[in-house]
Amino acid sequence: MVTEDSRGEAVVRLDGVRKEYGETTALDGVSLEIRPGEAVAVMGPSGCGKSTLLNMIAGLDRPTGGTVVVHGENVGELSEKGLALYRRRRIGMIFQFFNLVDDLSALDNVALAAQLTGSPARQARRRALELFDELGIADRRNAYPAVLSGGERQRVAVARALMNRPALLLADEPTGALDSRSGEQVMDLLLDLNQIGQTLILVTHDEHLARRCASRLVEFTDGRVTGEHTLEPSA
Amino acid sequence: MRAVWWAARAAVRRRRLQTLVIALVTLTSTAAMVVALGLVDAASAPFDKAFGKQRGPHVIAAFDPAKVSDAQLTQAAGRSGTEAAGPFAQATVELPDGTMNFGLGREITVAGRADPGGPVDRLEVWAGRWATRPGEIVLNRDPDWTADDLGKKVRVPSGRSLTVVGFAFDLSRTADAWVAPAQIGALHPTVTQMLFRFPDASSEERLRMQSDAATEGLPADALTASRSYLTLKDQVSSSARAYTPYLMAFGILGIAVAVLIIGNVVSGAVISGFRHIGVLKALGFTPGQVVAVYLTMISVPAVLGCALGTVLGNVLARPFFGFVFTGPDAGVFHDDVSVAPWVNAVALLGVPAVCVLAALAPAVRARRLSAAQAISAGSAPRAGRALGIQRRLAGSRLPRSVSLGMGLPFARPGRSALTLAAVLLGVTTVTFATGLATTMNRFGNAGRDAYQVTVYASNFKDGKEIKPAHGDRELQSLLRSLPSAREVTARSNTDVRVAGSAHKVELEGRRGDRLQLDSVLTEGRWTRGTGEIVAGSAFLRQNGLRVGDHLRLERGDRSQKAVVVGEYMESDARRIVADWPTMTALSPQEKPIAYHVKLRDGADPAAYARAARAADPGISPSPQGPNSVTQTIIGSASVLTLMLALVAALGVFNTVVLNTRDRRRDLGMLKSIGMTPRQVTVMTVTSMAVLGAIGSLLGIPLGMAGYDLVVPRMADAVDISLPSYMTDVWQALSLTGLALAGVAIAVLGAYVPARRAARLTIAEVLHNE
Repeated sequence: MVTEDSRGEAVVRLDGVRKEYGETTALDGVSLEIRPGEAVAVMGPSGCGKSTLLNMIAGLDRPTGGTVVVHGENVGELSEKGLALYRRRRIGMIFQFFNLVDDLSALDNVALAAQLTGSPARQARRRALELFDELGIADRRNAYPAVLSGGERQRVAVARALMNRPALLLADEPTGALDSRSGEQVMDLLLDLNQIGQTLILVTHDEHLARRCASRLVEFTDGRVTGEHTLEPSA
Repeated sequence: MRAVWWAARAAVRRRRLQTLVIALVTLTSTAAMVVALGLVDAASAPFDKAFGKQRGPHVIAAFDPAKVSDAQLTQAAGRSGTEAAGPFAQATVELPDGTMNFGLGREITVAGRADPGGPVDRLEVWAGRWATRPGEIVLNRDPDWTADDLGKKVRVPSGRSLTVVGFAFDLSRTADAWVAPAQIGALHPTVTQMLFRFPDASSEERLRMQSDAATEGLPADALTASRSYLTLKDQVSSSARAYTPYLMAFGILGIAVAVLIIGNVVSGAVISGFRHIGVLKALGFTPGQVVAVYLTMISVPAVLGCALGTVLGNVLARPFFGFVFTGPDAGVFHDDVSVAPWVNAVALLGVPAVCVLAALAPAVRARRLSAAQAISAGSAPRAGRALGIQRRLAGSRLPRSVSLGMGLPFARPGRSALTLAAVLLGVTTVTFATGLATTMNRFGNAGRDAYQVTVYASNFKDGKEIKPAHGDRELQSLLRSLPSAREVTARSNTDVRVAGSAHKVELEGRRGDRLQLDSVLTEGRWTRGTGEIVAGSAFLRQNGLRVGDHLRLERGDRSQKAVVVGEYMESDARRIVADWPTMTALSPQEKPIAYHVKLRDGADPAAYARAARAADPGISPSPQGPNSVTQTIIGSASVLTLMLALVAALGVFNTVVLNTRDRRRDLGMLKSIGMTPRQVTVMTVTSMAVLGAIGSLLGIPLGMAGYDLVVPRMADAVDISLPSYMTDVWQALSLTGLALAGVAIAVLGAYVPARRAARLTIAEVLHNE
């Protein structure tokens, strides 16, 4: 299904993507296009394959069949190193359980993403501090993940995802492990990011989150796209 | 119990690599332990073992047959309640010049003895049979002697020649040869020999007391001489003692490495399973059942590895011990070189016990934790550990994968400490063994290029001596003129006495192109003229002499003043070396017994020997063979070093496997934000290389200290002064190589799991977490 959005060429194009784990089919011929600046929410019951879909786009896993093209790159054909570079340059990923390195301070967790690309430590930290300021967690920069609240951890994770100015921000249940107040804060953050042009793909169970942050809703059942709706911006 | 077995079996299946590592570590560690413990056991009392097996006499007593009868001696021995052999009539026989003496010397002691067995001094007849009739003789030779000499004749000054019917080995050296009691009379015995074995042989004093008790009641002055086995022990085991400190050090190091690595691997396996333990508890396993699951999980591969390791250790130990402890100098028989049964028992019971104990401590800790705590303890390390180091590293100019890797060991200091200890011991072992092997190599090869062929100035055919066709000087010129000969040096020796001492000294005289031959100077210089001698440290120590001291040598009514101008590497306290005129001043008729020939580079010693034999049938040229014992010791040291290095590498490998497993989530996350497989490999290898580098920095000085501790004692044990070039084994290049060894052990152990970690499927890892 292709949207009617006409803001430019598709950033993400999935064509007949299949993913099988042994005899289990997680994705069953998924085709989808996402255009620049779009915020797309993928919803569906547990085990329907929505996280697998996100993993395919993020280059965290390879499809069994079909093609995943992001920014003109066929993700399935990239080498392991190519995938790593792809993730660095194109993708920012936010996880439900934050996935921060416990041994590193919040600032170093964020700076790490830039340092892996070869940025000097000082420059990486400067950029990280800018993000901390923007996300309102500058006072927590030297804290370690273990002492941060869930909302703070997720903000650090968002900062890390934005560190290399990704073309595509992917969020897998970003509020799933947060209390409602922290969840609201993260939703606001994602909304703000989309409003300044950040392309966003969101996997969630939370319809409220989907309606709040996304402009399009993709319904997923048993590894297939079963419905698609354009969403009105929430008040 | 069924649930425990089911859970343990499932855990073993799920952790195949870890199970394999535990099995491999216990296998190699047990093998190393068996060899090491075997070495410690064999090196601790090689003489005592062989002596006990032969039921050697603690005291060899010589009685005057004119003052005491055989019946009195038999009665006295029986009355005292001690074990005894004898009485045996004993004669001293001087073999005529020019007759074959089978390496026993010109003056031999012969005892009349009906059989080789008995309660004391059981002789091993290793070739031929015992002498049962007049005209037969059995010679005391070690089993390395050729059995081809059976049937040859020994000419004695009085009466007919005796036929060699057998070779027996007597560690106690009660006689050089034995004849049947019916024969001994013809050899004019002057002494009656009694061999006593006492219940308490701990000291000279105790032996003297028991000996006095055994001979109490015999006529006064009947006992003319007695020799304690302690003197013999000191003489006989000097060669084995030379290796003992080294073997002990190696053995103890091997055991320490093995125990530590097993502890490291097993406890690491349990610690890494905390999360699993939590899940088991959550499922309803009781704390006792959880402990049982883990002990079963560890025991299966450990017991298997231990059993195979014990077999491997025995297989490896046999040829090694065979070379080290065989022969009379080592004091052990050729068939007594296997690993002691207690060593196998300790390995078979001890290694699994170490495994269970190592697993028990963390398993009991897990037992006390609640399910939630256990699950949480099994996840990533808590904040607060070595965080300052991480922060400093994060700000460094190093590539981030390197700085992250350098920080990893500080995240789990307990496990890192165990791994570090394993690397440390591995490097210490490699350093120690390398230094020792270098010294032994130089020791074994010292003077090896001095000559390639030894030409003995006599030959024997059918028991008869064939004299050289050429005279002394003529023969030396002939040997010098043969193709490929470059230098010829003649050698002979004669017994002399140092004025003021009752002991005989063997003065070796040398003449020709290279007076130093293969002797290695440790102090002073070599002789330059008449009246100068060079002596070994043992001789100097025993006679209270130093380089520069003067002494007077005497032989019969002749005497010669001499000055000690040098000390050379020689453990024989009876031997000194001088030039030819100094020797002939004391013994004018002395002729060379051998000529040592140095050949031109690349010449074939065997071809020279053939040419020399053809030139004069009365000589026996013998090309110099390889120094097999030294080479074997060096080879074995290398095998042991490699084995311990392998154990250390496996320990590191295991740590990396477990660390990688623990950090799967972090690795998945790092890969998700763009860390390349190469960066993952670099990070993981770096984390272990850091431990390797620290291990090297600490292990090298420890290994050097061990060397400095052991090698001088090793040399002292045999009264040898090693020249400095043999102990100056630490060069910048070799130290750099050793430093790299520690890093290499760590990198080697880390590389495979690092590659594995680099290939982790991110989605799977993050999904599972």
